[in-house]
Amino acid sequence: MTGAKASPQAVAALQAALAAEQAACYGYGVVGAHLNVSRSQSRSAEADWVAHQVARDNLAALITSAGAAPNPAPVAYQLPVHVRTAAQARSLAVVLEDEVAQAYLGLVALGDRSLRALGGRELTAAALRAAGWRHATVAFPGMAR
Amino acid sequence: MLDAAAQGAPRTEEEAVTVGPTRRGLLAASAAGAALLISGCRGVQVLGSPPPAAPDVRLLRAAITAESQLVARYHAAIGAAAGSSVVTAKLTAVLAEHEQHLAQLRSRLIVPSGSARAPKPAATSPAAGTAGLTGTLSELAAAEQAAAQRLAADLLTAPPSLAQLMASISASEATHVPLLRQLGRTA
Repeated sequence: MTGAKASPQAVAALQAALAAEQAACYGYGVVGAHLNVSRSQSRSAEADWVAHQVARDNLAALITSAGAAPNPAPVAYQLPVHVRTAAQARSLAVVLEDEVAQAYLGLVALGDRSLRALGGRELTAAALRAAGWRHATVAFPGMAR
Repeated sequence: MLDAAAQGAPRTEEEAVTVGPTRRGLLAASAAGAALLISGCRGVQVLGSPPPAAPDVRLLRAAITAESQLVARYHAAIGAAAGSSVVTAKLTAVLAEHEQHLAQLRSRLIVPSGSARAPKPAATSPAAGTAGLTGTLSELAAAEQAAAQRLAADLLTAPPSLAQLMASISASEATHVPLLRQLGRTA
């Protein structure tokens, strides 16, 4: 994507995806803190956390190259899941991934093919992570239920 | 109109792909789209040969065919795995997701009334039972991977709403791959 061609819709969709990734980066910090009992799950949370940080930075770079300023992350979030146990931490991870998936679906509706492809790839990545935490698959990842 | 498409998915040159986000909106939008397609393509050659299907209709039809083949594969695999209740339960759950995919895809294909032809017979189901359960699961995983990749490529040129549906189905199919591989290791 070249900066000159980025539409307002593209920038808005990128900002929405960035916001979801920023929330995931924050949320996975909480997820990881509550999964210390299981080494494999803890490792999994850490790998997913890194993936979200990479995706977040990539989106910020795309927004910058489109001539806009990436919206800063909020200082803190009201988590949608109250986390005290490992099971609640896994539930939070599922919610975070579902929200990320939904945000990337917005990129898929854009005219820019490279952004569409990015949206499709990241949607699949989020769906795979969500399925891992959920121990189940869903028919329509990213679509509001 | 929508029901006719959902039930039989008859194939005609006048099919149109729906574009809006809601079912109600879809109906209105695609009825208008179908009318445009018909009047736009026919022009003065009313008696000439019918125009080829629009590219988005071809993409949608390809997706419907691929999804039908996956459904047939799962039916065959479930029949072959009758001995293992764990495998049967998992495959049945995945099959239900594919049936939802198929229903959503078919609901996007709008066929004007009066132009319906007999639907093609269902895709031939691949031979099951020859490869054993582990082999069948491995073949299913490969078929899911291929279907997911095809959708991911085709969505790049689809109308926005159809592209989103294809992306979501592609992601769902991608999540079936590790599930099937895991199932194959324990089967």
